[in-house]
Amino acid sequence: MTVTETNPRIEVAGVQKRFGTVEALSDVSLTLNEGEVLGLVGDNGAGKSTLIKTLVGIHQPDAGEIRFDGEPVTIDGPKHARSMGVGTVYQDLALVDALSVAENLFLGRKPVRKLGGVVPVIDEETMTERAERILRDRLDIKLDPDTPVEYLSGGERQAIAIGRALVTDPDIVLLDEPTSALSKAAVERVEQLVEQLKESGHSVIIIDHNLEEVRSMTDRITVLFQGRTVDTLETEAVSRDDIVSMMVSGKPLADPATAGTGQSSTAQHSPSD
Amino acid sequence: MSNQSPILAPLQTLRESNRTKLVLFTLDNLIWPILLVAFVFFSALLPEIFTQYRNIRFLLYTSAGLGAITLAESICLISGNFDLSVGSVAGFSAMAGALFLTEWAPGAPGVSGILVVLCVGGAIGLLNGVLIAKMGVNPFLQTLSTLIIFEGGILVLSSQSVYGLPESYLWPGEAVISIPVINPIPVAIFIMCGLFVGLWFVLSRTRFGRAVYAVGGNEASAAEAGIATDRVIITVYVISGVLAATGGLLLTGFNGGATPTTGTSQLFPAFTAAVIGGISLFGGRGNVVNTLGGVLLLGTISAGLVMLNIDPTVIQTVNGIVLLAAILLYTVVHQYRERLLSDL
Ligand SMILES: Nc1ncnc2c1ncn2[C@@H]1O[C@H](COP(=O)(O)OP(=O)(O)OP(=O)(O)O)[C@@H](O)[C@H]1O
Ligand SMILES: [Mg+2]
Repeated sequence: MTVTETNPRIEVAGVQKRFGTVEALSDVSLTLNEGEVLGLVGDNGAGKSTLIKTLVGIHQPDAGEIRFDGEPVTIDGPKHARSMGVGTVYQDLALVDALSVAENLFLGRKPVRKLGGVVPVIDEETMTERAERILRDRLDIKLDPDTPVEYLSGGERQAIAIGRALVTDPDIVLLDEPTSALSKAAVERVEQLVEQLKESGHSVIIIDHNLEEVRSMTDRITVLFQGRTVDTLETEAVSRDDIVSMMVSGKPLADPATAGTGQSSTAQHSPSD
Repeated sequence: MSNQSPILAPLQTLRESNRTKLVLFTLDNLIWPILLVAFVFFSALLPEIFTQYRNIRFLLYTSAGLGAITLAESICLISGNFDLSVGSVAGFSAMAGALFLTEWAPGAPGVSGILVVLCVGGAIGLLNGVLIAKMGVNPFLQTLSTLIIFEGGILVLSSQSVYGLPESYLWPGEAVISIPVINPIPVAIFIMCGLFVGLWFVLSRTRFGRAVYAVGGNEASAAEAGIATDRVIITVYVISGVLAATGGLLLTGFNGGATPTTGTSQLFPAFTAAVIGGISLFGGRGNVVNTLGGVLLLGTISAGLVMLNIDPTVIQTVNGIVLLAAILLYTVVHQYRERLLSDL
């Protein structure tokens, strides 16, 4: 009932990715619309993280197409993805333990100033200031930006990874299991954050094994099974059991009344290549 | 912590964390108190002589070449890599520069020889870096190959020492300048200090430098965060090659000529100095300025032993024991550190 007009930001069509003999993605198609939260679920090893890494250019697809705003794109790497307005929280968090909270928040994109007008050096002051602001306003946690992240708890580390994804003010946010190490209260904060992102027009893909969380946060849900898309359905139209059955069997729901509500889900299945 | 007074709790934490920070700071810079102890020890055994300005100056002077090569090793270790070739790169590039000036282009200005030395070092570094970063060759095996190739290469170039080099070529390692109060003093000491400060600045203050630490700390994370890890690693090896070559140049000046053994013997001392200076073999940690402490500690010990008339052949054994002691110490410190951190 919320989706009246859809404006695809990211379209994945028939993407394949193999690592040696392992076919991590065999046929994945999905669409992320503007202003929507899309859940991505599937068993361990279904290919969810591989898909995220392919979307940000860590992996290049062996076949298939990725479109940003309708345009087919080749993404060189995370930096390129970032410049196209994509912020990512990786499942492994991608933090460097020995470095400080502030350095991790700005990893790969530290603010610089010109020393004596010529030598570019890191602008520690700006970095600390902005780190403090992110910690306070975005993440609502009390941490000294100078603390090495190895001192932090699992939940705090996850918060830093989320903070880093938001540093660049992306309009597309990819979250690979952002809540796996969080307490109930912290999960609620992430849920609020996702809500806020959606309200301010962001498009979000979220991977989460907790189906209740997925159901409470998302507009639509895409199910992956052994490297291929099973189906994409409206969150409101599916039960938890339906999702589980698709995750386990790898087959779309039999009942056409339910299966049909997934908007463009059937359209995505038609191979576009 | 929740039932403490809301005003006092943060203060309490602040005081505790400051003390912890002080302890951590000491642990991170442990080399300097150790150096002080070693210096006091030899000064006590060699009263008057060891603390003389002349002796300290000589100690710094003999450390210059090793200092540059230690920096070459340190930057690779910080980036999470390895360089076994620093010693032979130093020797090979210095020999190439010497032959350039005496045989290949006799009469060319000494400065052009210096340029040759640095370019040869940089080129070998580039080779190491490209094969490691782009082809995925294991850094240990890659630099072991370059170690062997260029150690042999020195002998291919010349099995004899090359003397009669232009003054300007020898200048960095040989010249002594007069400065009021501390005069006269070898330029090499200033060059060494400049290299340490320069590399410290690059590693701690620039984007590239922080990227070196990030890649060394966790290469996959650095890549996921958008750091061009390949480019960082290649640059690290080029800098390492240039620094090693600079070490070779300083040693040439110190010896008054290029000898086939110059440099090659410096690998283990450079490695030792880096490790006792607190550079982690796992990458991502350590401060290059502290490796100067490591270099000076090795210098202090060998100068002390020589002055005590102890057989010079013992020195290597002593260096090995120092390395072992350092490794043990850092292992204990590391465990203590972990405990300290888990209490936070
Ligand atoms: N770099 C890689 N090299 C080789 N195989 C890989 C690589 N990355 C992923 N795979 C394989 O691809 C498959 C999909 O992995 P992926 O991490 O995408 O699963 P996932 O759906 O994220 O699982 P989980 O829920 O456990 O995080 C797995 O079989 C995995 O072993
Ligand atoms: Mg995963």
